[in-house]
Amino acid sequence: MNCNKTRVLMSVAVDGELTVKEEQLFLLHLSECEMCRVEYEEAKKTKLIIREKIVRFNAPASLVTMIMQLSDVDAKKAEGTLSL
Amino acid sequence: MAKSETNHPAKASSKKETLSREENLKQLEFQKEAVVHINSLYNYALHLTMNPDDAEDLVQETYLKAYRFFNSFERGTNCKAWLFKILKNNYINSFRKNSKEPGKVDYDLIKDFYHSIKDTRIDTSEADSDYFHTLLPEEVYLALQSLPEEFREVIQLCDIEGFTYEEIANMVESPIGTVRSRLYRGRKLLRAQLESYAKKYGYNTDTDQ
Repeated sequence: MNCNKTRVLMSVAVDGELTVKEEQLFLLHLSECEMCRVEYEEAKKTKLIIREKIVRFNAPASLVTMIMQLSDVDAKKAEGTLSL
Repeated sequence: MAKSETNHPAKASSKKETLSREENLKQLEFQKEAVVHINSLYNYALHLTMNPDDAEDLVQETYLKAYRFFNSFERGTNCKAWLFKILKNNYINSFRKNSKEPGKVDYDLIKDFYHSIKDTRIDTSEADSDYFHTLLPEEVYLALQSLPEEFREVIQLCDIEGFTYEEIANMVESPIGTVRSRLYRGRKLLRAQLESYAKKYGYNTDTDQ
């Protein structure tokens, strides 16, 4: 496996979605290529950054309460026009 | 005759009780399976609509629909993925159509969001020398929002929500190969954007070139 192919697979590797065969070839290349090893660490960091820096908001309490009582609301809105 | 007359209301009321017990069970299962994902759905809706009121409406509509069609949810599969798909469809069908400027990012709104919660954020896990460490949450958010939607979407679903490629492929109605390549290309763009923010702080990010 060459560097180009390895870079493409890096994004997949970061997500743990490589096939068994891909993983073997990927790890083999990493063991032989310092540049790709560095690049792989950077790729992992990018994913981590998204996970850590994107702030999660809590749904407003009023919304949660309303959803918890959904069957009542559903009954009121019965025969509506919703379709999946 | 008299017997049947007295029988009838009794029968009706017992039927009603059974129905409401079923309804109660359904509601309990719904709360356990679906309502637990409300924060994720709300955040996803915020990302899509960029507006708290719209996000709330979208989540509400999504749950109404999900509740109505809860019987068609395949038990044992990922309920969160099922809900996300409903929300996305809802968004495409009603919100995006009605929005005055589709896909327009309200940067001020994003900044307001982040500033309003700034004090509660904690991030001290990374080394100080790491340029990523200097990035502010709103910068990461803006970088993400600057990506074309097809890339932004898969990154959100994968990195923020933790869906598998198979689940994402199903949600965006594309093959897994497409999901893979969108993630690859999207992350490349995202990283370039993040590095440009980092450069602003004087960090040299050219070491990997």
